[in-house]
Amino acid sequence: MSEKFDAIVIGAGHNGLSAAASLAARGKSVCVLERADHIGGMASDRMAHLLYNPLPRGVQAQTRKIDTVSMSPDGKHVVLRDGIASYASGEAHPDATDFKTLHDRLVTYAALLNSLAESAPPGLDQGLTSLAGLREMSRLAKLGIGVKRLGTPEMREFLRILLTNVYDLLLDEMPDGPLPGALASDAVRGAFAGPRSPGTVLTLMYRLRNGGSVSLPAGGMGTIANAYADAARKAGADIRCGVGVTGVIVEDDVVLGVTTSDGGQLLAPAVLSSAGPMQTMQMAGIPSFDIEAVRRARNLRAKGTTSKLNIALKGRPEFTGLTKEQAKSRLLIAPSVAEVERAFNPAKYGELPSAPSLEMVMPDGQDRLSVIVSHVPLDLKSGWTEKARGTLTETVIAAIEAYAPGLRDQIASTDLLTPADIAQLTGAPGGHWHHAEMGLDQMLTTRPTVGMARYRFGVRGLYLCGASAHPGGDVTGMPGRNSAAQVLLDGVA
Amino acid sequence: MMDGRIDTDSIAAVPTGLIPGPVQSRLEKISTAKSWGNWAGYVSPLVLDTVEFEYFAIRNQTTLFDVSPMHKYRVTGPEAQAMLNRMVTRDIRKIKPGRVGYALWCDEEGMVIDDGTLFRFSETDFRLCCQESMHGWLLDAAWGFDVTIEDESHSIGGLSLQGPTSFSLLDAAGLSAVADMKPFDLREIEPGLWISRTGFTGDLGYELWTDWQKTGALWDRLWEQKQPWGLRAIGSQALDMVRIEAGFMAAKVDFQPVLRASRLGRGRSPLELGFDRLVDFTKGHFNGRRALLKQKESGLRHHLVKLEIGGFKPADGSLIYHRKKREVGHVTSAIWSPTAKRNIALAELKAPYGGEKINDLWAEVYVNEEGIWDKRLVPVTVVTDPFFKNDRARATPPRPF
Repeated sequence: MSEKFDAIVIGAGHNGLSAAASLAARGKSVCVLERADHIGGMASDRMAHLLYNPLPRGVQAQTRKIDTVSMSPDGKHVVLRDGIASYASGEAHPDATDFKTLHDRLVTYAALLNSLAESAPPGLDQGLTSLAGLREMSRLAKLGIGVKRLGTPEMREFLRILLTNVYDLLLDEMPDGPLPGALASDAVRGAFAGPRSPGTVLTLMYRLRNGGSVSLPAGGMGTIANAYADAARKAGADIRCGVGVTGVIVEDDVVLGVTTSDGGQLLAPAVLSSAGPMQTMQMAGIPSFDIEAVRRARNLRAKGTTSKLNIALKGRPEFTGLTKEQAKSRLLIAPSVAEVERAFNPAKYGELPSAPSLEMVMPDGQDRLSVIVSHVPLDLKSGWTEKARGTLTETVIAAIEAYAPGLRDQIASTDLLTPADIAQLTGAPGGHWHHAEMGLDQMLTTRPTVGMARYRFGVRGLYLCGASAHPGGDVTGMPGRNSAAQVLLDGVA
Repeated sequence: MMDGRIDTDSIAAVPTGLIPGPVQSRLEKISTAKSWGNWAGYVSPLVLDTVEFEYFAIRNQTTLFDVSPMHKYRVTGPEAQAMLNRMVTRDIRKIKPGRVGYALWCDEEGMVIDDGTLFRFSETDFRLCCQESMHGWLLDAAWGFDVTIEDESHSIGGLSLQGPTSFSLLDAAGLSAVADMKPFDLREIEPGLWISRTGFTGDLGYELWTDWQKTGALWDRLWEQKQPWGLRAIGSQALDMVRIEAGFMAAKVDFQPVLRASRLGRGRSPLELGFDRLVDFTKGHFNGRRALLKQKESGLRHHLVKLEIGGFKPADGSLIYHRKKREVGHVTSAIWSPTAKRNIALAELKAPYGGEKINDLWAEVYVNEEGIWDKRLVPVTVVTDPFFKNDRARATPPRPF
């Protein structure tokens, strides 16, 4: 006899756990299956280190808001806190006023878009004659009213910059340097894009949609994943690690359950997959999907560009020009917008960056430097050989050492995760942070692709609940939560 | 040149214009009308002599038409059946090896992309013949299946031999082995020569398939038996008349292939085109199934129907009215049928007209009486049977005539 549940969730990453918690909270019996031997997926210390968004309701964890320091080769590092810029020495920054104006404006605009980001993507496919259709219309109207209430000049500015590139936006307002460099690197981190790529203002707004501050989780990212898992368990979900899903059982275009790597099967009328669209299609069988849907899933833009280097240290490194306290901030190496753009260039040709832009933190109470390296290609031309891994590690260490002399002597060991490793370890399509590039063509009603935006995934009872679904990447749990809401709305579980 | 202009004489001539088909040299010789059209980039005869002679030859003698410009795709591999069954709306598991089936396929919204004939050579080997270029679509449809798609459009030639004496002619040409072939049978009669008992005329007829290079010789072999079976080469205009008599719809005429239409809502579902019997909702998922189920529930928007129209003036393009007042559709194809002696048409009507409502329908035809135009509303009757039906088309073995 096969076990029966109301819903099965594939993958115990934060979105899978969030979906499970939402369903279990409504009294549904939920089983979460995770092929790895631990929960968390990408929300682990090895892969991530910071929170860019507040934790969802029900997820309890200690976090600490931290400053951002944008390192400058001339030693005049810039400290950023809530849009206020100053030099690390305490001196005033000459562009601080322009920066604050721009930052606040972007935060205002981003807050407008946030209303779209948090619930399911808008859709008018049910027409205006139904209650649901009118509700959708009123959501869009709210955005329209919000834009209108900015006043004519601001509304024009919002519409002018919305689809432009962050390079022009920043350098229209201030001279190039570590200050605009910081925002430029935030706009493209995790993306296959440089500051000059179109749509990067939108990705920056996405990043700033909760004010733009970053938080360091006490005890590391692992505690966040555990908090998600605790919330799901508390609601009654059953989380099983070390059990992968080998297939989704479909009969007469209806989901019946899943087959598992241990040779068993679990039955449920709803299956929520936090894997990518193509992986999910393959689990359910390509013949179950329309030809166009398969084509779109094949062509989904999901080329991971983010590497993680974890450096275990024998002591705390000292950064020239920063106090011990300041060194506990989020440290960025993005000396200028132009250099962030240049760092992206090699990735287009499958090559390694020679001067990568970096984001690093030293988690509280740990002798460890956690570094996110942008613009590392998934499909490295030379292949991910030991030599290539060594070269990248060395490039990153050298780049940091320029700001922290003597760092090399303090290194106990290093652990490099390339996009290919991340893909392999988490199943994220292309090792992409957001499971699918956050481009205008892959956002809102077209995320991950046209016709798949409302979490329903072809076969009745099959849903997407991972980062490839709206609103996308980052540790927000929202794709999972929204997907669960759609399941409940459809009444399948 | 000295003045900087490019000397065009020194550039190799790039061939432009239509490509001659495999029997073009033969057609050139017999064509008195010199009336040529473009069929998928090939020169194809519209009329060779006169359309009347050619039409009556189809219904009373036998006729030869080069169908080589048709798009032809070979689908082979262990999952060929599964792949095609996911693409087309009917259940092709019911088409056994050695049989041919008519099929339609849809986009994800359930709108017809094209129709065509599916030839099944073996469990794992098919050929799809259709009007529209379908290579890209087939490659998309094949993704994830263990199959190979090969475009045979330019390597396989086809001759369509149609008419009541077509069997007798094949017999005379040494191909009597087709005698026991039933309609839609497919057989390799000689090495490299496949014959199917198919056609676009609704009459007795065969299609002969061979290598592009051997098509000319095949033509000659049939042409040698011209007498006494009255063989005549025909153009597409006469063929268009008989396909309307047979009630067959034509792509781009009676429906718009949805991938070609750029305007929204121009596509039509197989249900709207009257092919419910070729949509099998029980066979498992196929492209557009979910949309078609939804349409079945919410109702069809149109009905493609066969009409008998009053008077004798062909009503091509006429608007159709209900109670002479409300415009409810238009004629897509129409002729005066010389064999049925009826004024016939295919028409697209807005639902529920043509579905539940078929009474009190009128066609608006314009007549020119020696320079004076007059508008007339003539009565219209929706019919279900083909306008031309003759049991000689189905008799096995075929009668000699």
